[in-house]
Amino acid sequence: MNFLTEPVGLSHFLAVGAFLFVTGVVCMATKRNTLGILMGVELVLNGANINFVAFASPYFREDNLGLEGNLLALFVIVLAAAEAAVALAIALNYYNNHSTIDVDKANELKG
Amino acid sequence: MLTPEDSLPFLLGLAVLLPLVSFFVIFLFGKWLEQLGAHIATGAIAAAAMCSLTAAAIWMAQHAPPATHHAHPAESHAVISQSSVHLTALHDGEHDHDHADGLVHGEHDEHADDAHFVPPVYTGHWYSLGRFYGSEVAINYYIDALTIVMFCVVTFIATCIHFYAGGYMHEELHEVTDHEVTLADGTHLKRPGRYHRFFQYLSLFCFSMLGLVIAGNIAMTFVFWELVGACSYFLIGFYVERQSASTAANKAFIVNRVGDFGMLIGLMAIWASLATFNFGDVDRNGDGKLDPHEHGLFSLLRPAGENGLHELRVPDGMVLQGAKERVEEMIVAAQPGTTTADLESQILAQVSLWRDGKAKGDATHYGYWLLVIAGVGIFCGCVGKSAQFPLHVWLPDAMEGPTPVSALVHSATMVAAGVFLVARFYPVFAPEVLLVIACAGCITLLIGGSIAIVATDIKRVLAYSTVSQLGYMMLALGVGGWAAGVMHLVTHAFFKSLLFMCSGSVIHAVHTNEMTEMGGLRKKMPYTAYTMLVGCLAIAGVGVPSALGIPFGFSGYYSKDLMLEQAYLFRSANPLWGSIFFYAATGGAAVTAFYMFRMWYLTFAGEPRDEHRYKHAHESPRVMYVPLVVLAVMAVAIAWPIFGNYGLTNVIEQGRPIGLWSDMASLDGGYVWLHESKSHADEIRTPVGLMAFGAAMTGIFLASAMYLWRVLDPTDARRTFAPVYKFLVHKWWFDEAYDVLFVRPAKVIAACCVWIDKQCIDRLLHGLAWSVRQIARCGEAWVDQGAIDGAINWFAAKTYSTGAALRGMQTGSLRQYVMFIVVGALAMFVLMSFWSYGFAR
Amino acid sequence: MFYQLIEQLRIDTLQQSLPLFGAELTLVVAIVLILLCRMLPVLEKVDSVWLGIVGVIAALIALRPFQPWSIGADGPVAIAMGQLQPTETFTGMLTHDGFAIAIKAILLFFLLLFFLLTKITKLSSRFDSADFVVLALGSILGMFVMSSANHMLMIFMGVEMASVPSYALVALQRRNKKGSEGALKYAVFGAGAAGVMLYGVSLLCGVLNSAHLPTMATRLSELFASEPSGSEVLVLALGGLMLGVGLSFKLSAFPFHFWCPDVFEGASAEVDAFLSIASKTAALALLVRVAVGFTTLPAEPAQVARATPPTIEQVAFVDAEAAPEKALQSSDPLAPARKFVVLLIGVVAVVTCTFGNLAAYAQTNVKRLLAYSTIAHAGYMMMAVPAAIAVAEVDKNSARQAIAYLALYAVIYLFMNLGAFAAIAFVREAVGSEEIKDYAGMLKRGPTLAICLTLILVSLIGLPPLAGFIGKFAIFAAIAQAWNLTSSPFLMFLLIAGGLNTAISLFYYLRIAKVMTIDSESDDTAPMQRPIGIIQNGYLVLVTAPLVLLLFNWDFLNAWLLEAVSHIIT
Repeated sequence: MNFLTEPVGLSHFLAVGAFLFVTGVVCMATKRNTLGILMGVELVLNGANINFVAFASPYFREDNLGLEGNLLALFVIVLAAAEAAVALAIALNYYNNHSTIDVDKANELKG
Repeated sequence: MLTPEDSLPFLLGLAVLLPLVSFFVIFLFGKWLEQLGAHIATGAIAAAAMCSLTAAAIWMAQHAPPATHHAHPAESHAVISQSSVHLTALHDGEHDHDHADGLVHGEHDEHADDAHFVPPVYTGHWYSLGRFYGSEVAINYYIDALTIVMFCVVTFIATCIHFYAGGYMHEELHEVTDHEVTLADGTHLKRPGRYHRFFQYLSLFCFSMLGLVIAGNIAMTFVFWELVGACSYFLIGFYVERQSASTAANKAFIVNRVGDFGMLIGLMAIWASLATFNFGDVDRNGDGKLDPHEHGLFSLLRPAGENGLHELRVPDGMVLQGAKERVEEMIVAAQPGTTTADLESQILAQVSLWRDGKAKGDATHYGYWLLVIAGVGIFCGCVGKSAQFPLHVWLPDAMEGPTPVSALVHSATMVAAGVFLVARFYPVFAPEVLLVIACAGCITLLIGGSIAIVATDIKRVLAYSTVSQLGYMMLALGVGGWAAGVMHLVTHAFFKSLLFMCSGSVIHAVHTNEMTEMGGLRKKMPYTAYTMLVGCLAIAGVGVPSALGIPFGFSGYYSKDLMLEQAYLFRSANPLWGSIFFYAATGGAAVTAFYMFRMWYLTFAGEPRDEHRYKHAHESPRVMYVPLVVLAVMAVAIAWPIFGNYGLTNVIEQGRPIGLWSDMASLDGGYVWLHESKSHADEIRTPVGLMAFGAAMTGIFLASAMYLWRVLDPTDARRTFAPVYKFLVHKWWFDEAYDVLFVRPAKVIAACCVWIDKQCIDRLLHGLAWSVRQIARCGEAWVDQGAIDGAINWFAAKTYSTGAALRGMQTGSLRQYVMFIVVGALAMFVLMSFWSYGFAR
Repeated sequence: MFYQLIEQLRIDTLQQSLPLFGAELTLVVAIVLILLCRMLPVLEKVDSVWLGIVGVIAALIALRPFQPWSIGADGPVAIAMGQLQPTETFTGMLTHDGFAIAIKAILLFFLLLFFLLTKITKLSSRFDSADFVVLALGSILGMFVMSSANHMLMIFMGVEMASVPSYALVALQRRNKKGSEGALKYAVFGAGAAGVMLYGVSLLCGVLNSAHLPTMATRLSELFASEPSGSEVLVLALGGLMLGVGLSFKLSAFPFHFWCPDVFEGASAEVDAFLSIASKTAALALLVRVAVGFTTLPAEPAQVARATPPTIEQVAFVDAEAAPEKALQSSDPLAPARKFVVLLIGVVAVVTCTFGNLAAYAQTNVKRLLAYSTIAHAGYMMMAVPAAIAVAEVDKNSARQAIAYLALYAVIYLFMNLGAFAAIAFVREAVGSEEIKDYAGMLKRGPTLAICLTLILVSLIGLPPLAGFIGKFAIFAAIAQAWNLTSSPFLMFLLIAGGLNTAISLFYYLRIAKVMTIDSESDDTAPMQRPIGIIQNGYLVLVTAPLVLLLFNWDFLNAWLLEAVSHIIT
């Protein structure tokens, strides 16, 4: 079964979602810039969103998630926006106090 | 509410509790109350007195006292002459009228109503302390005329004493310098005043005494009995810093313990055989009927009987206890196949035979001696508390307490408790016990009176007088004069408290107890002098004898005559013992009059012997002499027969316990106790009255001759009777004898015990301890420090280092944390996959 | 058709769901009112904390924790807790049952005490009090959603709604370096965990083709019954684990606890109390929901499934008492899922507990120490879940009892941790330090505080005669009971691990007590700037008193909670 030669189906979407997820996680784990990390979070969330949408599509599977999947994706977008807003505000606050948004400098609290 | 069933327990219970409340209030807040404490205590006891008097009024309204039981002269005469005949009949337990002659018969009929008379009694239950196999120990009450009288006397006198003490103890309000206590550096002891504490103890004392009086069972009596003892210990040792006071307190307490030991034996005998402590019947389940287990001691010991005379009968329980061996024999000899119920009924059928000594080939009266032991045991307690020979030694020493305490102890509370208990327990005493009581009383009376003659300490004179008077009461009770004894208890309470308070007033004025340093004080302190004279006249029993027309006199006159009459009556039935008792009592009366007037003359008459003290003497403040006047009035008038049926005599007569309305005889019939009413016959009254009058007058005359008119020189007399004098001054060498007989041997034994303890037991223990310690030391070194400590320390160190290492995981780096999300999830996934490899089959 | 749909929605929303949603609506109204007050200059003077307290009380009244609302034939009626049948609201998004009500009641009660605490320590007036109150209320709203979630969307939304305001709560001390660092870590870690969780949710939903929890359970049982392929099981397991990551983050379970000590140290003690109590309680409730939801079949579909004619074997076994259950168990398709969940949660619980207790040893900061203590306690509480799941099919009563015990522990834990953090806040006010060494001589400096804090610490250890003992004992009893019924060695292992952990935890708690009571003040102890006031002491005594008093009668609490969970495992 050749993954690349098959017509675009559920597996391809899931692969993209997984790719986004892994990219996001790696981004979160490696970026020193807070904004970069937040971008990674967005990537992870969007990876999941792609999954939802793919699972919801009636074109790929007979038995699908249906509207629920799409709704979930919509809600996630909204929640991601809210979370990003708060996270950005926190990052800004951090910047005000430390004059940097390098997370590696944030190691005062440990042990 | 106004029915006596409800109101009497309530009122008297209130009277008991008020002093307790006062005690607690002063106990808790005494320091801040200061003088208010005295007011609280006085208020409480005064309120208690009001309650008691109200109770008395309710009682009288509900129960008209009976008319006095004066036997007709002819009959009484006949009784005396025919007593032996009558008593044989009594002893046989069957009133076979055919065998008695007509006069006895008539007498018997005459008193038939009286003999069946059941005195009004209220019993009831307050609180259950515990149940043991159906038998109950409870707080309950027993209210009869005796209770009422005692309540009134105790609360009234205690009220007077509280007022008096408010003035007497005044100096305790400030810091006190005790001149009788010299410290090591030669200065006198200074201590803060203990005014409130005095009243606190007084309140507790009153509470204990009232509780004792209202007690409905012998166990409760015993508790309050001990409380009274404890209070007297506190009060006698009030000046605790004084060596003499603390010794006296100890003496009082320890000597009382000896008596209480006997009392405990009596209690055990009663409890083990009868399984109840209650005096009267208490309807516990409230069904209006008396179940067998609800019977009190009195109805068990004096059942109505066939003739309704309530004669003393050994109860079944005691018979069974006494005949334990016989019962066992029966059980062993029982035929095989006999059921338990059968056996039981067989044994019960034997009981009445055993009781009367009629069992086949066995004349023993089973259980009778158990009853005697119980009675003697209870009396032992009374001996201790009422200072009877041989335990009288504590009472004179108890003078170390403040004078109001002496007044209270000697009149209404402590010593009265013993006499009261004998009176209360009277139905339980077998005739043999009564004889013991009479003997003890007789000896005490002589000892007390004789020592009082030579004492020079004013309070000691009074103390020995108390000993002697208590002996009188016991003697009267012992010879069958129940009413006479109780009557004297009441009158004595009034005039003895009066005398003590007067002496206190004198001491307050001249600051010494020695009569040799007084004299002529009547000019300085008239109130005290003349109230005391009233007291002396009362105790001497001065009055117009009945032979001279209307019998009339001070209160002591009535009670003393009653007692002498009863002794005379006893003599008529039992010539030998009766004579001893009667002449001792009559002689004692003369002695009483002598020493009382000696005391009065030495104190108040003649010229002052110590000018310095005389100069500083002064009449006491009003708060002190007003109670004196009140008590003097009572001492004069309390026994006057002008109150008709409501006079003291009749109320006391009403309290005469069940079954005391007929004659009694000892087991072998050798001694006979005639009924008290027979002593009121003129054949007895006239000679006895004259003799008593003569005795009192002789005493007074002799005292006047020696100390007022100085016709006889006391020093001469002292020289003439030097050995006797020495004997008396040393108080018959009782203290010395006890020292040699008991104290020293006890100390020697104690020393031996100490030696054994120190030399043997201690050494053994030390050796053991030493070896254990050595073993422990080895154990500690090897096992504890090496193994256990090592293990624990190792574990602790490892835990700590693990914790510290785990801290290292928390690097503070955010990126690493995020990494851990992924790593953690993956690690868990791998772990779970391996661990539960087969979970997806 | 469209009209019909709308009409059905209208009926479902207005007549069924909204009346049961009263408490949440009240909170929303309170939030809106507080925000409105800020807009109007006239109302600016109104203290938002008091408004918040009023809102909480109103929500409690609307919740009716002892006689909750139920939808009858003619509108909502109040019925006894035990009779409340679980009702799905908002087309199956949420569920209205006793367990949710009990958890909500605990949360609201906590919020009441929490607002009082912030009023006493004047925390809320330091920054914008309206922000603070609104954030707390909003977070609680999220927790309400968590505790009654019945749908994957609601689970995710609840977690986010609860988390996002709490990030802001931590960051509210704007000029505090540590605070901002803690908030950053919290936000980033939380966002990451949420992302992972969401991905897991997407996998689960995709495989089971539903996001509705009961439906998912039914599908899961069907899947297991019909020989699933290996890849499906793999994806399910991965999805479940990733969902677990999100829950573990909320519970601060190992290895997703890293945020917890840092955030606790950075945030103020009051916020710590909020995070450690409210957040944990809601997370535990969600854990119970998810774990129970995936491992037991919902009532109706199960009945439908069993409506198939009984086989001869089953009929033959009817006589023996234990037989039907055995028969059920053997044909129970969800057994593998249960085994997975028991093992997963059990292992995580033991590791979390041990880690928390060990790491707490070397701490010098009180808040950090208590953060580790919180982690350890989360471990203890999680242990009740495997105990419940393990016996869910064997003995439903024991399973319910285990969950009731969990809730009981949560109630006691509320008092313990609130008291501890309140004491820390009061000491911060008085001494200005949160280091353990500065607690030296506290017995002399603030005797009431020292005594109360000592009692709380002893209670946290779980020693009798304090309430902490009840909680711990109840959890262990539930595990022991489960072990009795299943004789699974793993449960015994849980029990032993729990006992050992209690022993380990003794020392670090007692260290604080020792510093307070035995050690005397030295030169390097921070001096007392102002005494601890009577209100502070009174508050502490108020919170400590239940710990002492509950031992005399905790039956009423247990009875209430048992009634509340009476329909959770059917």
